[in-house]
Amino acid sequence: MSARTVPPSGLKPTWSSIFETGLGARAYPYLMVLPAVVIVLGVVVYPVLSGIMTAFYDVTLRSLNSGDMDFVGLRNFERVFADPNFVRALQNTVVWVILNVVAQLGLGLALALLLHRAMPGIGFFRSGILVPWVVPSVVAVLTWRWMYDPSVGIVNELLVKLGVIDAYHPWLGDTATSLYAVTVESIWKGTPFVMLLLLAALQLVPKSILEAASMDGASRWKKLWYVILPQIRVSFAIAAVLTFILTVNNFNAIWLMTEGGPLNSSEILFTLAYKYGFKRFDLGLASAVATMLFVGLVVATTVYLKLIQAREED
Amino acid sequence: MTAAIFSHDSRSSAATGIAAHNRSKALRKILTYAALWIAFVWAVFPFYWMIATSLRAKDEIFQRPPSLVPHTVTIQNYIDLLVGAQFWRFAMNSLLLTASVTLVSVLISVTAGYAMARHRFKGSVVLPLFMLYGQMFPPVLLLIPFYAQLRLLGWLDSLWGLIPVYLSYMLPLCVWLMRGFFSQVPHSLEDAARMDGCTRWQAFWKVILPMAKPGIVAVATWVMIHSWNEFLYASTFILSEKNRTLPLGLSGLIGQYTTDWGVLMAGGVITALPILLVFFFLQKHLVSGVGGGAVKG
Repeated sequence: MSARTVPPSGLKPTWSSIFETGLGARAYPYLMVLPAVVIVLGVVVYPVLSGIMTAFYDVTLRSLNSGDMDFVGLRNFERVFADPNFVRALQNTVVWVILNVVAQLGLGLALALLLHRAMPGIGFFRSGILVPWVVPSVVAVLTWRWMYDPSVGIVNELLVKLGVIDAYHPWLGDTATSLYAVTVESIWKGTPFVMLLLLAALQLVPKSILEAASMDGASRWKKLWYVILPQIRVSFAIAAVLTFILTVNNFNAIWLMTEGGPLNSSEILFTLAYKYGFKRFDLGLASAVATMLFVGLVVATTVYLKLIQAREED
Repeated sequence: MTAAIFSHDSRSSAATGIAAHNRSKALRKILTYAALWIAFVWAVFPFYWMIATSLRAKDEIFQRPPSLVPHTVTIQNYIDLLVGAQFWRFAMNSLLLTASVTLVSVLISVTAGYAMARHRFKGSVVLPLFMLYGQMFPPVLLLIPFYAQLRLLGWLDSLWGLIPVYLSYMLPLCVWLMRGFFSQVPHSLEDAARMDGCTRWQAFWKVILPMAKPGIVAVATWVMIHSWNEFLYASTFILSEKNRTLPLGLSGLIGQYTTDWGVLMAGGVITALPILLVFFFLQKHLVSGVGGGAVKG
């Protein structure tokens, strides 16, 4: 690069000539990234570090005002573990994550395989199936809340008509069904994105391999299992990790349908931390839960980045 | 396909084999379309239901059992929604916030993404990865420090206070995506411009930026959509009704005892409309952008 950066002496000099040689040239890339780095340090790195620190202090609204916070070591974590609501939220989070990830990946793969073929009208189906991804999350959640309405909800009506249930059921108001009812919405909303990722991967599978498999007499299922899936495994894993991260961080669905209730039956760690922080204003306790989530997500993100690198090397 | 026929049915007699194959092929086609229709209805039905509810009269909304198709169509819910000043105010707030966040994040991520894609400097490998990490941090961990900071600065309950908060949520990924787009613009063009006497900055401004325009549009759209839809931060940091954004305004329509679902669904339709329009105009850019960057939706 530097060999070519002789200052263009014959041309009219402009203010930007100072970046052509010497210190200016060396500082140029740093100046270009500087604003972004400063902002990210300020609005991401600093808050994360200060959030983790808060987990080891006793912080309430009052101590926030006065400014003196007591260092309490692992006390916040002990209090969290002693809370039966935390145990419940942890169990729910595991159920919530497993159901979402398995269903979204399974349905996403099925849809991608269905849509990955030249058929008349496929564009129409593809656009329609992407609708849940495009509808704003708050709008989608509130619509589902309305559809689940215990007295006039269409979900109840349809299920009664189909003979699945005998009478209207308060899906979001029953401790036995609330978490699963929210999960259905979340699967509905999340599947199209998984489908998109997998569809992009399917389009990269070389046709020649599939034809070779057909020549050798492989059945459809064998082709899927032995040819297609191994080819898209990295994209599949990336989709799995992304779905995991998005599901753990999915606040809107639970908060706007049930607020974690009734009786904590649909509480996940995210909403529990939120309640600790902004209902009880025990910010230390909230940070303790958030820090645990953070560690889990960092592990998942690391796996994700490794997978992306693996894909780039493929 | 012919290869499949022969290998599949080589043992049976050719004629019956082909007939059976055609039958199973037709059957498979029917099954495929059936599956596509089921998926389609499943995906679109809630959206349909939102529109259908927004067009019903009040007494019909609470009629039991609900009917799939509205008996009478009325725009009364939309009139009720738009006559009050509140909704316009929410829409203006959302618009202002979305426009500012988009402008700031695009301006800042454009130069950073370019520098990371094109120049080698200390951190040119680590920084992009770091940006991707930044995107994955759980918002719930950031909420509390943000709350404390905004309180300290007196920016709680202010739309301006939300701008830095939204940047934390948007900027890292913008930089990551921009870097991806800039690395696709061929080096040779920039070199040619430099040979012709452009300064670095001129080459960037006059040659590279126009080339990277589709990528920039995709990133800007992505930021717009996410700022427009954001709920968690806004609902935590905005306290007074006059500063609410559209998603907050919508959730505020949920009453403690009764909810006017017709008006709420009308608001949902209007909130979703700009996003749907943007999406269907830019579908190609967005899908390739998100697929290429392989990032969250």
